[in-house]
Amino acid sequence: MKDNEILEKLKISIVKGKSEEALDFMHQAINANIDPKQILNEAIIRGAEDVGLKYEEGEFFLADLLLAADAMIDCMDIIKPKLIEGKHKSLGKILIGTPEGDIHDIGKTLVIALLKGQGFDVIDLGVDVPPETFVEVAMNENPDIIGISGLLTMTISKMIETVTMLKRKGIKAKIVVGGGILSEKSCKHIGADAWAKDGWEGVKLIKDLMEVN
Amino acid sequence: MPHDWEASKLRLLGTFIGSPNIDRVPFFPLACEEMICRISGKTFRELISSPKTYGNAAIQTYEFLKADTIAIPTAYAGPAEALAFAETNNKEDVIKWFDYKVFMAEQGAICKTEEDIEKLEIPDHSKISLWDTCYSAIDFLREKIKFQPSCALGIWSVVQQLRGPQVYRDMRKNPELLLQLCEKVYQSQRDLFNFYNERIGPSGNIFFTGYAFNKHMMSFEDAMKFEGQFIKRLQNETRVPIVLHNCGTPPYFDEICNNLEISAINGSHPLDIEYWVKFKENHPNTTIIGANIDVSRELLNGTPLEVEEKVKENIRHLAQGGRYAVGPICCLPWGVSLNNILTIPKAIKKWGTYPLQTQLLY
Repeated sequence: MKDNEILEKLKISIVKGKSEEALDFMHQAINANIDPKQILNEAIIRGAEDVGLKYEEGEFFLADLLLAADAMIDCMDIIKPKLIEGKHKSLGKILIGTPEGDIHDIGKTLVIALLKGQGFDVIDLGVDVPPETFVEVAMNENPDIIGISGLLTMTISKMIETVTMLKRKGIKAKIVVGGGILSEKSCKHIGADAWAKDGWEGVKLIKDLMEVN
Repeated sequence: MPHDWEASKLRLLGTFIGSPNIDRVPFFPLACEEMICRISGKTFRELISSPKTYGNAAIQTYEFLKADTIAIPTAYAGPAEALAFAETNNKEDVIKWFDYKVFMAEQGAICKTEEDIEKLEIPDHSKISLWDTCYSAIDFLREKIKFQPSCALGIWSVVQQLRGPQVYRDMRKNPELLLQLCEKVYQSQRDLFNFYNERIGPSGNIFFTGYAFNKHMMSFEDAMKFEGQFIKRLQNETRVPIVLHNCGTPPYFDEICNNLEISAINGSHPLDIEYWVKFKENHPNTTIIGANIDVSRELLNGTPLEVEEKVKENIRHLAQGGRYAVGPICCLPWGVSLNNILTIPKAIKKWGTYPLQTQLLY
């Protein structure tokens, strides 16, 4: 099989969320000595883009996104050491968590999986995270972007508290808030730099902010 | 002037049956535990310390908000159902408690594995002290103000809590397992419904949280498979009208009402009022509670004037001929300006008194 055929089949397996099949093509790509950077850009990231497009067009749903993201992560686990060997830089460091008082994590799970699957370093703080923890980890890890994701309307007040504390402590990272409860106005009210209504939009937004295309 | 619950009851009933004889559009807010704690000054644990305490705090809150409805918000297929499953399956440690709002279950911790689902035991709600307190509080309301909040049920909201994000993997990889979990949750809802009937008496309708019906989350076919078919069964088995709640963005309201018999829908998305106008045209016998009034927009960030305009817009487009109640969803959170909330009943009185002064509305 030619290199571009292997990459195309790898991409299709990712889009279909078929991890085992994707791993087979991944090994074929490595055995064929395809540059890991090329595998990342032409199969994994393009796969993510195709999945996103299908989601936007209403052909794919959360389940499809999540399975595709799982396949991407499985592939990244293999390719990551080779990318590091080749001095390929991470696309960025993202710190993400659900604020104190909220335990919902479906959107966050999806964002993390899609970001990791495309070569970002992600620190997952989990759910019900107090503002102080966001600040402490942000000071230690110096992330490029901080994502705060929540489902409940009552989470908004904790988002405000978290963003205020991060800014007061001089954290320079851009802050993205996410959740269907949010709007342009509530994003301003919270003091965040940007907002996304769902997981897929969050991933696109983070990539835009990091200027990754 | 004391709150006239009898008038509120007639207003709501009249709205639901499309009566031409109601005095004004009803106000149907969802004040959750957080708002009841805020208005009553009590912690959540105090609220659930006795049915009378919870009942009185709910009356205080809903009367303060000048609402035409009342609820014991914990008594729905949300965290309290997760707690019932947690207690029944000896997993109470997954519940996290808060001072001024409802507790929550760690998502997915109760049904982490396939074996957890297979062995999952269905709660006997009469033995769960929290449910006993909540239903006794509803009974207290029925006695004290002669107003009985509905029985509130749901499937997907509970399934997601029990299994967490894994439900979306199951949906494609192991749908049979997921259906097995849905079936167990359904049996639990039937137990809850029976317990409600025994403790309080028949419910006028079932307030059903249909969280599967969300276009971002799944296809309509999947929503029917994992939640809709259970609503159908519930209707066939109970013959009680369904009020379908979904505060997601955007819900499948039109599609649901084409497939199921729904007496009222409660939502705040989509935000385009034209969607709701069309919905009313297509489903003239379905009451709309809410439409495009959303707490995270005008109520949280707007001014009283903006809130009034939003209420006016909804009344102008949807209240003609009845079957419309103003209601911001989702739950009113702690940080919302009380002034903004109280603008709603004022605006309803001004613009939503029947017969509507259509020339003033435009």
